[in-house]
Amino acid sequence: MSRNELSAAEREELDALERIIAREPVGERHLELAALVDSVRAGAPRMDPAFAARLDAEVAERTARRRQRSVTPRLARRPGLRRIALASGGLVAAAVAFTIVISSGVLNGGSHTPSVESGLSGTPLIVPRTPSATAAPATSKRSPTIAAPTAGAGAGASNFAASPALHGAARLVHKDSTLTLATSPATMQGVANRIVAATERTGGVVASSNVAIAGAASHASFTLAVPSGHLDHLIATLSALASVRALNQSTNDITDSYNQEQARLADNAATRSALLAQLATAATAAQQATIQKQLNRLEARIAAEHREIARLENQGHTATLAVAVVAGASAAKHAASAGPFTTAFNRGLHALEAILAIALVALAIVLPFALSALALWWGVTSVRQRARERAMRTA
Amino acid sequence: MTVIAAVPTSGPGASEQFEQLYRSSAADVYAYVASLLRDRTAAEDVTALAFERAFRRRALFDVRRGTPRSWLFAIARNAALDELRRRRRSGALLHDVADTSSEFEDLDPDLADRRLLVREGLAELAAGDREVILLKFVGRLSNAELARVLRCSESNAGTRLHRAIVRLREVCGVTQ
Repeated sequence: MSRNELSAAEREELDALERIIAREPVGERHLELAALVDSVRAGAPRMDPAFAARLDAEVAERTARRRQRSVTPRLARRPGLRRIALASGGLVAAAVAFTIVISSGVLNGGSHTPSVESGLSGTPLIVPRTPSATAAPATSKRSPTIAAPTAGAGAGASNFAASPALHGAARLVHKDSTLTLATSPATMQGVANRIVAATERTGGVVASSNVAIAGAASHASFTLAVPSGHLDHLIATLSALASVRALNQSTNDITDSYNQEQARLADNAATRSALLAQLATAATAAQQATIQKQLNRLEARIAAEHREIARLENQGHTATLAVAVVAGASAAKHAASAGPFTTAFNRGLHALEAILAIALVALAIVLPFALSALALWWGVTSVRQRARERAMRTA
Repeated sequence: MTVIAAVPTSGPGASEQFEQLYRSSAADVYAYVASLLRDRTAAEDVTALAFERAFRRRALFDVRRGTPRSWLFAIARNAALDELRRRRRSGALLHDVADTSSEFEDLDPDLADRRLLVREGLAELAAGDREVILLKFVGRLSNAELARVLRCSESNAGTRLHRAIVRLREVCGVTQ
Protein backbone atom coordinates (compact mmCIF):
# COMPACT_ATOMS: atom_id res chain seq x y z
CA MET A 1 0.00 0.00 0.00
CA SER A 2 1.45 3.37 -1.01
CA ARG A 3 1.83 6.27 1.36
CA ASN A 4 -1.31 7.96 0.12
CA GLU A 5 -3.51 4.91 -0.16
CA LEU A 6 -6.29 4.51 2.35
CA SER A 7 -7.95 1.31 3.45
CA ALA A 8 -11.56 0.68 2.55
CA ALA A 9 -12.66 1.54 6.09
CA GLU A 10 -10.73 4.78 6.04
CA ARG A 11 -12.21 5.70 2.67
CA GLU A 12 -15.66 4.93 4.00
CA GLU A 13 -15.04 7.20 6.95
CA LEU A 14 -13.97 10.01 4.64
CA ASP A 15 -17.12 9.49 2.59
CA ALA A 16 -19.14 9.69 5.77
CA LEU A 17 -17.28 12.88 6.64
CA GLU A 18 -18.36 14.38 3.32
CA ARG A 19 -21.97 13.59 4.17
CA ILE A 20 -21.59 15.07 7.66
CA ILE A 21 -20.13 18.26 6.19
CA ALA A 22 -23.03 18.39 3.74
CA ARG A 23 -25.43 17.91 6.68
CA GLU A 24 -26.69 14.62 5.29
CA PRO A 25 -27.64 11.69 7.55
CA VAL A 26 -24.96 9.11 8.36
CA GLY A 27 -24.99 5.65 9.87
CA GLU A 28 -24.74 5.01 13.56
CA ARG A 29 -21.09 4.01 13.39
CA HIS A 30 -20.19 7.51 12.16
CA LEU A 31 -22.09 9.42 14.81
CA GLU A 32 -18.88 9.82 16.80
CA LEU A 33 -17.28 11.51 13.78
CA ALA A 34 -20.31 13.75 13.41
CA ALA A 35 -19.99 14.71 17.06
CA LEU A 36 -16.29 15.45 16.54
CA VAL A 37 -17.07 17.69 13.59
CA ASP A 38 -19.76 19.41 15.59
CA SER A 39 -17.38 19.98 18.51
CA VAL A 40 -14.66 21.41 16.27
CA ARG A 41 -17.16 23.73 14.60
CA ALA A 42 -18.69 24.81 17.86
CA GLY A 43 -15.28 25.50 19.34
CA ALA A 44 -13.99 27.41 16.34
CA PRO A 45 -13.17 31.04 17.06
CA ARG A 46 -15.95 33.45 16.23
CA MET A 47 -15.66 36.93 14.90
CA ASP A 48 -16.08 39.78 17.33
CA PRO A 49 -19.37 41.50 16.34
CA ALA A 50 -17.62 44.88 16.15
CA PHE A 51 -15.00 43.48 13.79
CA ALA A 52 -17.68 41.69 11.76
CA ALA A 53 -19.53 44.98 11.35
CA ARG A 54 -16.34 46.78 10.34
CA LEU A 55 -15.52 44.10 7.78
CA ASP A 56 -19.09 44.13 6.45
CA ALA A 57 -18.87 47.88 5.98
CA GLU A 58 -15.49 47.66 4.30
CA VAL A 59 -16.57 44.98 1.85
CA ALA A 60 -19.83 46.79 1.16
CA GLU A 61 -17.92 49.99 0.46
CA ARG A 62 -15.51 48.26 -1.93
CA THR A 63 -18.21 46.41 -3.83
CA ALA A 64 -20.31 49.59 -4.01
CA ARG A 65 -17.33 51.43 -5.48
CA ARG A 66 -16.91 48.60 -7.93
CA ARG A 67 -20.58 48.79 -8.88
CA GLN A 68 -20.22 52.52 -9.47
CA ARG A 69 -17.21 51.89 -11.68
CA SER A 70 -18.98 49.23 -13.67
CA VAL A 71 -21.65 51.73 -14.71
CA THR A 72 -19.07 54.42 -15.54
CA PRO A 73 -18.43 54.56 -19.27
CA ARG A 74 -15.28 52.63 -20.10
CA LEU A 75 -13.67 55.63 -21.80
CA ALA A 76 -14.08 57.77 -18.70
CA ARG A 77 -12.10 55.34 -16.57
CA ARG A 78 -8.49 56.06 -15.84
CA PRO A 79 -6.31 53.26 -17.16
CA GLY A 80 -4.42 51.32 -14.54
CA LEU A 81 -0.68 51.70 -14.11
CA ARG A 82 -0.15 48.11 -15.18
CA ARG A 83 -2.08 48.66 -18.39
CA ILE A 84 -0.14 51.84 -19.12
CA ALA A 85 3.15 50.01 -18.49
CA LEU A 86 2.10 47.10 -20.71
CA ALA A 87 0.93 49.41 -23.48
CA SER A 88 4.12 51.49 -23.26
CA GLY A 89 6.27 48.37 -23.34
CA GLY A 90 4.37 47.05 -26.32
CA LEU A 91 4.68 50.36 -28.17
CA VAL A 92 8.41 50.61 -27.47
CA ALA A 93 8.95 47.02 -28.63
CA ALA A 94 6.90 47.66 -31.77
CA ALA A 95 8.82 50.88 -32.47
CA VAL A 96 12.18 49.16 -32.01
CA ALA A 97 11.02 46.25 -34.16
CA PHE A 98 9.77 48.63 -36.84
CA THR A 99 13.10 50.46 -36.88
CA ILE A 100 15.02 47.19 -37.14
CA VAL A 101 12.80 45.91 -39.91
CA ILE A 102 12.99 49.17 -41.83
CA SER A 103 16.76 49.37 -41.47
CA SER A 104 17.15 45.76 -42.61
CA GLY A 105 15.09 46.54 -45.69
CA VAL A 106 12.46 43.88 -45.15
CA LEU A 107 9.78 46.34 -46.12
CA ASN A 108 11.31 46.67 -49.55
CA GLY A 109 10.35 43.16 -50.46
CA GLY A 110 12.50 40.71 -48.54
CA SER A 111 14.35 38.38 -50.89
CA HIS A 112 14.14 40.71 -53.84
CA THR A 113 15.38 43.74 -51.98
CA PRO A 114 17.84 45.58 -54.16
CA SER A 115 21.21 46.23 -52.64
CA VAL A 116 22.09 49.76 -53.60
CA GLU A 117 25.77 50.58 -53.56
CA SER A 118 27.33 53.85 -54.48
CA GLY A 119 30.88 54.14 -55.69
CA LEU A 120 30.98 57.75 -54.56
CA SER A 121 29.92 57.50 -50.98
CA GLY A 122 29.25 60.78 -49.30
CA THR A 123 29.30 62.72 -52.53
CA PRO A 124 25.98 63.73 -53.95
CA LEU A 125 25.30 62.63 -57.45
CA ILE A 126 25.05 65.88 -59.32
CA VAL A 127 24.56 66.05 -63.00
CA PRO A 128 24.61 69.77 -63.74
CA ARG A 129 21.74 70.98 -65.83
CA THR A 130 23.26 74.37 -66.59
CA PRO A 131 26.88 75.40 -66.76
CA SER A 132 28.29 77.64 -64.13
CA ALA A 133 28.00 81.15 -65.40
CA THR A 134 31.22 82.15 -63.74
CA ALA A 135 33.02 79.24 -65.32
CA ALA A 136 32.83 80.62 -68.83
CA PRO A 137 36.22 81.89 -69.96
CA ALA A 138 36.53 85.37 -71.36
CA THR A 139 37.49 84.03 -74.76
CA SER A 140 34.47 81.75 -74.99
CA LYS A 141 32.15 82.58 -77.81
CA ARG A 142 29.65 79.80 -77.13
CA SER A 143 28.41 78.35 -73.95
CA PRO A 144 27.25 74.76 -74.45
CA THR A 145 25.00 73.39 -71.76
CA ILE A 146 26.38 70.38 -70.04
CA ALA A 147 23.03 68.69 -69.53
CA ALA A 148 22.16 68.77 -73.19
CA PRO A 149 25.44 68.53 -75.01
CA THR A 150 25.50 69.35 -78.67
CA ALA A 151 29.24 69.21 -79.08
CA GLY A 152 29.87 65.59 -79.94
CA ALA A 153 32.82 63.81 -81.43
CA GLY A 154 32.02 65.33 -84.74
CA ALA A 155 32.40 68.89 -83.59
CA GLY A 156 34.39 70.84 -86.12
CA ALA A 157 38.06 71.27 -85.42
CA SER A 158 37.76 74.82 -86.59
CA ASN A 159 35.61 75.68 -83.62
CA PHE A 160 38.35 76.69 -81.20
CA ALA A 161 36.14 78.10 -78.47
CA ALA A 162 36.69 76.20 -75.25
CA SER A 163 33.78 74.71 -73.30
CA PRO A 164 33.35 76.11 -69.82
CA ALA A 165 35.18 74.48 -66.95
CA LEU A 166 33.10 73.01 -64.10
CA HIS A 167 33.55 74.44 -60.62
CA GLY A 168 31.91 74.20 -57.23
CA ALA A 169 28.81 72.05 -56.94
CA ALA A 170 28.52 71.50 -60.70
CA ARG A 171 30.13 68.10 -61.23
CA LEU A 172 30.28 65.86 -64.21
CA VAL A 173 29.75 62.28 -63.11
CA HIS A 174 29.42 59.02 -64.95
CA LYS A 175 26.79 56.61 -63.62
CA ASP A 176 27.23 52.89 -63.96
CA SER A 177 24.58 50.45 -62.68
CA THR A 178 23.88 46.76 -62.76
CA LEU A 179 20.42 45.33 -62.26
CA THR A 180 19.61 41.66 -61.79
CA LEU A 181 16.02 40.58 -62.34
CA ALA A 182 14.41 37.20 -61.85
CA THR A 183 11.43 35.90 -63.71
CA SER A 184 9.97 32.57 -64.74
CA PRO A 185 11.39 30.94 -67.89
CA ALA A 186 7.99 31.27 -69.54
CA THR A 187 8.02 35.05 -69.23
CA MET A 188 11.72 35.53 -70.02
CA GLN A 189 11.17 36.56 -73.64
CA GLY A 190 8.38 38.96 -72.67
CA VAL A 191 10.54 40.60 -70.05
CA ALA A 192 13.42 40.90 -72.54
CA ASN A 193 11.15 42.61 -75.07
CA ARG A 194 9.85 44.99 -72.43
CA ILE A 195 13.40 45.89 -71.37
CA VAL A 196 14.25 46.90 -74.93
CA ALA A 197 11.02 48.85 -75.32
CA ALA A 198 11.44 50.66 -72.00
CA THR A 199 15.03 51.58 -72.89
CA GLU A 200 13.97 53.09 -76.18
CA ARG A 201 11.12 54.98 -74.56
CA THR A 202 13.55 56.69 -72.18
CA GLY A 203 15.79 57.76 -75.04
CA GLY A 204 18.42 55.11 -74.44
CA VAL A 205 19.96 52.54 -76.70
CA VAL A 206 20.65 48.85 -76.32
CA ALA A 207 24.42 48.61 -76.73
CA SER A 208 24.38 44.82 -76.60
CA SER A 209 21.94 42.07 -75.74
CA ASN A 210 21.92 38.34 -75.32
CA VAL A 211 18.74 36.31 -74.71
CA ALA A 212 18.78 32.54 -74.27
CA ILE A 213 15.54 30.63 -73.67
CA ALA A 214 16.38 27.19 -72.32
CA GLY A 215 13.91 26.23 -69.64
CA ALA A 216 15.25 26.68 -66.14
CA ALA A 217 18.59 27.82 -67.56
CA SER A 218 17.00 30.70 -69.49
CA HIS A 219 18.80 33.99 -69.12
CA ALA A 220 19.14 37.35 -70.76
CA SER A 221 21.65 40.15 -70.50
CA PHE A 222 21.65 43.68 -71.83
CA THR A 223 24.04 46.58 -71.82
CA LEU A 224 22.04 49.75 -72.04
CA ALA A 225 23.18 53.31 -72.59
CA VAL A 226 20.66 55.79 -71.32
CA PRO A 227 20.64 59.54 -70.63
CA SER A 228 21.88 59.97 -67.04
CA GLY A 229 18.80 61.94 -66.07
CA HIS A 230 16.56 59.05 -67.06
CA LEU A 231 18.55 56.27 -65.39
CA ASP A 232 16.50 56.18 -62.17
CA HIS A 233 13.25 56.18 -64.10
CA LEU A 234 14.45 53.34 -66.31
CA ILE A 235 15.60 51.31 -63.29
CA ALA A 236 12.19 51.82 -61.67
CA THR A 237 10.44 50.77 -64.88
CA LEU A 238 12.57 47.65 -65.28
CA SER A 239 12.19 46.75 -61.59
CA ALA A 240 8.43 46.54 -62.11
CA LEU A 241 8.87 43.98 -64.90
CA ALA A 242 10.23 41.22 -62.65
CA SER A 243 11.52 40.54 -59.15
CA VAL A 244 14.63 42.52 -58.36
CA ARG A 245 17.44 40.27 -57.15
CA ALA A 246 20.18 42.91 -56.99
CA LEU A 247 20.81 46.50 -57.86
CA ASN A 248 24.28 48.02 -57.73
CA GLN A 249 24.97 51.62 -58.58
CA SER A 250 28.30 53.38 -58.83
CA THR A 251 29.38 56.83 -59.96
CA ASN A 252 32.68 58.11 -61.29
CA ASP A 253 33.46 61.82 -60.97
CA ILE A 254 35.12 62.96 -64.22
CA THR A 255 34.94 66.69 -63.51
CA ASP A 256 38.70 67.06 -62.98
CA SER A 257 39.58 65.33 -66.28
CA TYR A 258 37.03 67.48 -68.05
CA ASN A 259 38.39 70.69 -66.52
CA GLN A 260 41.98 69.76 -67.38
CA GLU A 261 41.05 69.16 -71.02
CA GLN A 262 39.21 72.47 -71.12
CA ALA A 263 42.26 74.29 -69.72
CA ARG A 264 44.58 72.65 -72.26
CA LEU A 265 42.20 73.55 -75.09
CA ALA A 266 42.08 77.18 -73.94
CA ASP A 267 45.91 77.35 -73.82
CA ASN A 268 46.24 75.84 -77.28
CA ALA A 269 43.62 78.19 -78.68
CA ALA A 270 45.57 81.15 -77.30
CA THR A 271 48.82 79.78 -78.77
CA ARG A 272 47.11 79.31 -82.13
CA SER A 273 45.94 82.94 -82.15
CA ALA A 274 49.48 84.09 -81.40
CA LEU A 275 50.91 81.91 -84.20
CA LEU A 276 48.34 83.23 -86.67
CA ALA A 277 49.40 86.76 -85.78
CA GLN A 278 53.05 85.81 -86.29
CA LEU A 279 52.20 84.17 -89.62
CA ALA A 280 50.56 87.35 -90.85
CA THR A 281 53.70 89.36 -90.09
CA ALA A 282 56.28 86.76 -91.21
CA ALA A 283 58.88 88.41 -93.45
CA THR A 284 60.31 85.37 -95.22
CA ALA A 285 58.91 82.23 -96.79
CA ALA A 286 61.03 80.09 -94.43
CA GLN A 287 59.51 81.82 -91.40
CA GLN A 288 56.02 81.29 -92.83
CA ALA A 289 56.72 77.60 -93.44
CA THR A 290 57.99 77.09 -89.86
CA ILE A 291 54.98 78.85 -88.33
CA GLN A 292 52.62 76.91 -90.61
CA LYS A 293 54.15 73.63 -89.42
CA GLN A 294 53.64 74.66 -85.77
CA LEU A 295 50.06 75.65 -86.59
CA ASN A 296 49.35 72.26 -88.17
CA ARG A 297 50.64 70.39 -85.12
CA LEU A 298 48.59 72.65 -82.87
CA GLU A 299 45.45 72.13 -84.94
CA ALA A 300 45.85 68.36 -84.56
CA ARG A 301 46.21 68.71 -80.78
CA ILE A 302 43.18 71.00 -80.58
CA ALA A 303 41.10 68.55 -82.58
CA ALA A 304 42.15 65.69 -80.25
CA GLU A 305 41.24 67.81 -77.24
CA HIS A 306 37.82 68.55 -78.70
CA ARG A 307 37.24 64.85 -79.19
CA GLU A 308 38.30 64.08 -75.62
CA ILE A 309 36.05 66.81 -74.23
CA ALA A 310 33.15 65.49 -76.29
CA ARG A 311 33.86 61.96 -75.05
CA LEU A 312 33.88 63.11 -71.41
CA GLU A 313 30.66 65.08 -71.87
CA ASN A 314 29.06 62.07 -73.46
CA GLN A 315 30.24 59.91 -70.57
CA GLY A 316 28.75 62.39 -68.12
CA HIS A 317 25.43 62.46 -69.84
CA THR A 318 25.07 58.85 -70.75
CA ALA A 319 24.75 56.27 -68.00
CA THR A 320 25.48 52.60 -68.47
CA LEU A 321 23.04 50.04 -67.19
CA ALA A 322 23.85 46.33 -67.33
CA VAL A 323 20.72 44.23 -66.92
CA ALA A 324 20.80 40.51 -66.24
CA VAL A 325 17.58 38.50 -66.22
CA VAL A 326 17.73 35.09 -64.61
CA ALA A 327 15.13 32.35 -64.34
CA GLY A 328 13.86 31.90 -60.81
CA ALA A 329 11.06 29.77 -59.40
CA SER A 330 10.23 32.34 -56.73
CA ALA A 331 9.85 34.92 -59.42
CA ALA A 332 7.14 32.98 -61.20
CA LYS A 333 4.55 34.91 -59.26
CA HIS A 334 6.03 38.15 -60.46
CA ALA A 335 5.24 37.58 -64.07
CA ALA A 336 5.88 40.44 -66.39
CA SER A 337 2.31 40.32 -67.48
CA ALA A 338 1.03 40.80 -63.93
CA GLY A 339 -2.26 42.63 -63.96
CA PRO A 340 -3.43 45.20 -61.43
CA PHE A 341 -5.08 42.53 -59.30
CA THR A 342 -1.88 40.47 -59.13
CA THR A 343 0.15 43.58 -58.37
CA ALA A 344 -2.24 44.54 -55.58
CA PHE A 345 -2.16 40.98 -54.27
CA ASN A 346 1.65 40.98 -54.28
CA ARG A 347 1.74 44.31 -52.51
CA GLY A 348 -0.67 43.01 -49.90
CA LEU A 349 1.51 39.95 -49.49
CA HIS A 350 4.57 42.15 -49.00
CA ALA A 351 2.70 44.25 -46.43
CA LEU A 352 1.73 41.10 -44.54
CA GLU A 353 5.33 39.93 -44.74
CA ALA A 354 6.47 43.23 -43.26
CA ILE A 355 3.87 43.06 -40.48
CA LEU A 356 4.95 39.51 -39.68
CA ALA A 357 8.58 40.58 -39.64
CA ILE A 358 7.76 43.43 -37.25
CA ALA A 359 5.78 41.08 -35.03
CA LEU A 360 8.62 38.55 -35.00
CA VAL A 361 11.24 41.14 -34.13
CA ALA A 362 8.96 42.57 -31.43
CA LEU A 363 8.51 39.07 -30.07
CA ALA A 364 12.26 38.53 -30.14
CA ILE A 365 12.69 41.69 -28.09
CA VAL A 366 9.89 41.03 -25.64
CA LEU A 367 10.36 37.28 -25.22
CA PRO A 368 13.69 37.31 -23.32
CA PHE A 369 12.36 39.95 -20.94
CA ALA A 370 9.11 38.09 -20.46
CA LEU A 371 10.90 34.78 -19.86
CA SER A 372 13.30 36.41 -17.40
CA ALA A 373 10.40 38.04 -15.57
CA LEU A 374 8.54 34.71 -15.53
CA ALA A 375 11.57 32.86 -14.18
CA LEU A 376 12.08 35.54 -11.55
CA TRP A 377 8.41 35.44 -10.58
CA TRP A 378 8.46 31.64 -10.41
CA GLY A 379 11.62 31.68 -8.28
CA VAL A 380 10.29 34.28 -5.88
CA THR A 381 6.96 32.47 -5.60
CA SER A 382 8.62 29.12 -4.92
CA VAL A 383 10.93 30.54 -2.28
CA ARG A 384 8.05 32.36 -0.61
CA GLN A 385 5.86 29.26 -0.64
CA ARG A 386 8.61 27.19 0.91
CA ALA A 387 9.07 29.81 3.60
CA ARG A 388 5.33 29.70 4.27
CA GLU A 389 5.33 25.93 4.62
CA ARG A 390 8.29 26.21 6.96
CA ALA A 391 6.36 28.75 9.00
CA MET A 392 3.44 26.31 9.16
CA ARG A 393 5.67 23.48 10.36
CA THR A 394 7.19 25.61 13.10
CA ALA A 395 3.91 27.22 14.15
CA MET B 1 -21.78 21.72 0.82
CA THR B 2 -22.23 25.37 0.00
CA VAL B 3 -22.23 25.94 -3.72
CA ILE B 4 -20.95 29.27 -4.75
CA ALA B 5 -20.88 30.57 -8.26
CA ALA B 6 -17.64 31.64 -9.87
CA VAL B 7 -16.36 35.09 -9.09
CA PRO B 8 -17.01 37.13 -12.22
CA THR B 9 -14.50 39.86 -12.75
CA SER B 10 -16.83 42.17 -14.58
CA GLY B 11 -20.44 42.65 -15.43
CA PRO B 12 -23.38 43.76 -13.40
CA GLY B 13 -23.40 40.67 -11.15
CA ALA B 14 -19.73 40.79 -10.18
CA SER B 15 -20.11 42.78 -6.97
CA GLU B 16 -23.14 40.83 -5.84
CA GLN B 17 -21.37 37.51 -6.30
CA PHE B 18 -18.32 38.68 -4.42
CA GLU B 19 -20.59 39.83 -1.59
CA GLN B 20 -22.24 36.42 -1.65
CA LEU B 21 -18.85 34.72 -1.38
CA TYR B 22 -17.93 37.04 1.47
CA ARG B 23 -21.14 36.38 3.42
CA SER B 24 -20.88 32.61 3.05
CA SER B 25 -17.20 32.43 3.92
CA ALA B 26 -16.22 35.31 6.22
CA ALA B 27 -16.92 33.51 9.52
CA ASP B 28 -15.23 30.31 8.33
CA VAL B 29 -12.19 32.16 7.01
CA TYR B 30 -11.88 34.01 10.29
CA ALA B 31 -12.20 30.78 12.30
CA TYR B 32 -9.54 29.09 10.16
CA VAL B 33 -7.14 32.04 10.35
CA ALA B 34 -7.68 32.56 14.09
CA SER B 35 -7.01 28.86 14.75
CA LEU B 36 -3.81 29.02 12.73
CA LEU B 37 -2.52 32.20 14.30
CA ARG B 38 -4.05 31.76 17.76
CA ASP B 39 -4.26 35.51 18.00
CA ARG B 40 -7.62 37.23 17.55
CA THR B 41 -6.24 40.67 16.69
CA ALA B 42 -3.88 39.27 14.09
CA ALA B 43 -6.69 37.03 12.78
CA GLU B 44 -8.90 40.06 12.24
CA ASP B 45 -6.15 41.84 10.33
CA VAL B 46 -5.37 38.79 8.24
CA THR B 47 -9.05 38.11 7.50
CA ALA B 48 -9.56 41.68 6.35
CA LEU B 49 -6.38 41.45 4.30
CA ALA B 50 -7.49 38.18 2.72
CA PHE B 51 -10.78 39.68 1.55
CA GLU B 52 -9.02 42.77 0.31
CA ARG B 53 -6.57 40.64 -1.68
CA ALA B 54 -9.38 38.47 -3.00
CA PHE B 55 -11.27 41.55 -4.15
CA ARG B 56 -8.18 43.00 -5.77
CA ARG B 57 -7.19 39.74 -7.44
CA ARG B 58 -10.63 38.60 -8.50
CA ALA B 59 -9.52 39.12 -12.12
CA LEU B 60 -6.95 36.36 -11.63
CA PHE B 61 -9.49 33.83 -10.44
CA ASP B 62 -9.63 30.86 -12.77
CA VAL B 63 -12.67 28.63 -12.42
CA ARG B 64 -10.71 25.72 -13.94
CA ARG B 65 -8.34 25.74 -11.01
CA GLY B 66 -10.88 25.42 -8.24
CA THR B 67 -13.92 26.90 -6.62
CA PRO B 68 -14.12 30.48 -5.36
CA ARG B 69 -14.16 29.12 -1.82
CA SER B 70 -10.92 27.14 -2.19
CA TRP B 71 -9.38 30.16 -3.92
CA LEU B 72 -10.39 32.37 -1.02
CA PHE B 73 -9.05 29.94 1.59
CA ALA B 74 -5.76 29.70 -0.32
CA ILE B 75 -5.45 33.47 -0.18
CA ALA B 76 -6.29 33.47 3.53
CA ARG B 77 -3.78 30.68 4.16
CA ASN B 78 -0.98 32.56 2.40
CA ALA B 79 -1.80 35.72 4.33
CA ALA B 80 -1.85 33.82 7.63
CA LEU B 81 1.46 32.09 6.89
CA ASP B 82 3.01 35.40 5.91
CA GLU B 83 1.87 36.73 9.27
CA LEU B 84 3.46 33.73 11.03
CA ARG B 85 6.71 34.36 9.14
CA ARG B 86 6.63 38.03 10.06
CA ARG B 87 6.16 37.14 13.68
CA ARG B 88 8.96 34.62 13.62
CA ARG B 89 11.29 37.21 12.13
CA SER B 90 10.33 39.92 14.60
CA GLY B 91 9.96 37.54 17.55
CA ALA B 92 6.50 38.98 18.26
CA LEU B 93 4.49 37.29 20.95
CA LEU B 94 0.91 36.17 20.74
CA HIS B 95 -1.38 38.99 21.79
CA ASP B 96 -4.09 36.93 23.32
CA VAL B 97 -5.48 33.49 23.53
CA ALA B 98 -9.01 34.26 24.48
CA ASP B 99 -10.47 32.29 27.32
CA THR B 100 -13.74 31.16 25.83
CA SER B 101 -14.50 28.41 28.30
CA SER B 102 -17.56 30.38 29.40
CA GLU B 103 -19.01 29.88 25.89
CA PHE B 104 -20.20 26.39 26.81
CA GLU B 105 -21.64 27.23 30.27
CA ASP B 106 -25.21 26.97 29.07
CA LEU B 107 -24.70 23.57 27.48
CA ASP B 108 -25.18 20.13 28.87
CA PRO B 109 -22.08 19.49 31.07
CA ASP B 110 -21.08 16.41 29.09
CA LEU B 111 -21.35 18.24 25.78
CA ALA B 112 -19.53 21.25 27.20
CA ASP B 113 -16.73 18.98 28.50
CA ARG B 114 -16.48 17.28 25.15
CA ARG B 115 -16.26 20.56 23.27
CA LEU B 116 -13.61 21.88 25.61
CA LEU B 117 -11.70 18.63 25.24
CA VAL B 118 -11.82 18.84 21.47
CA ARG B 119 -10.76 22.48 21.53
CA GLU B 120 -7.78 21.68 23.73
CA GLY B 121 -6.97 18.64 21.64
CA LEU B 122 -7.06 20.72 18.52
CA ALA B 123 -4.68 23.22 20.10
CA GLU B 124 -2.28 20.40 20.91
CA LEU B 125 -2.17 19.13 17.34
CA ALA B 126 0.68 19.98 15.01
CA ALA B 127 -0.13 23.07 12.94
CA GLY B 128 -0.37 21.03 9.74
CA ASP B 129 -2.91 18.62 11.25
CA ARG B 130 -4.88 21.43 12.85
CA GLU B 131 -4.99 23.25 9.53
CA VAL B 132 -6.34 20.30 7.57
CA ILE B 133 -9.02 19.64 10.23
CA LEU B 134 -10.11 23.26 10.17
CA LEU B 135 -10.18 23.47 6.39
CA LYS B 136 -12.38 20.39 6.28
CA PHE B 137 -14.62 20.78 9.32
CA VAL B 138 -14.97 24.56 9.42
CA GLY B 139 -14.07 25.52 5.85
CA ARG B 140 -16.21 22.68 4.50
CA LEU B 141 -13.89 22.15 1.56
CA SER B 142 -14.06 19.05 -0.56
CA ASN B 143 -10.92 16.91 -0.81
CA ALA B 144 -10.23 18.38 -4.24
CA GLU B 145 -10.52 21.90 -2.81
CA LEU B 146 -8.38 20.87 0.14
CA ALA B 147 -5.72 19.61 -2.27
CA ARG B 148 -5.82 22.92 -4.10
CA VAL B 149 -5.33 24.93 -0.92
CA LEU B 150 -2.61 22.65 0.46
CA ARG B 151 -0.91 22.33 -2.95
CA CYS B 152 -0.90 18.55 -2.96
CA SER B 153 -2.73 15.75 -4.74
CA GLU B 154 -6.30 14.88 -3.85
CA SER B 155 -5.31 11.46 -2.53
CA ASN B 156 -2.58 13.01 -0.43
CA ALA B 157 -5.10 15.52 0.93
CA GLY B 158 -7.40 12.61 1.88
CA THR B 159 -4.58 10.78 3.62
CA ARG B 160 -3.48 13.86 5.51
CA LEU B 161 -7.06 14.50 6.56
CA HIS B 162 -7.58 10.99 7.82
CA ARG B 163 -4.32 11.01 9.75
CA ALA B 164 -5.20 14.36 11.30
CA ILE B 165 -8.58 12.98 12.42
CA VAL B 166 -6.87 9.95 13.95
CA ARG B 167 -4.43 12.20 15.85
CA LEU B 168 -7.24 14.43 17.04
CA ARG B 169 -9.03 11.39 18.39
CA GLU B 170 -5.85 10.28 20.08
CA VAL B 171 -5.18 13.61 21.83
CA CYS B 172 -8.83 13.86 22.83
CA GLY B 173 -8.84 10.28 24.11
CA VAL B 174 -11.83 9.51 21.88
CA THR B 175 -12.25 5.99 20.59
CA GLN B 176 -13.96 5.25 17.34
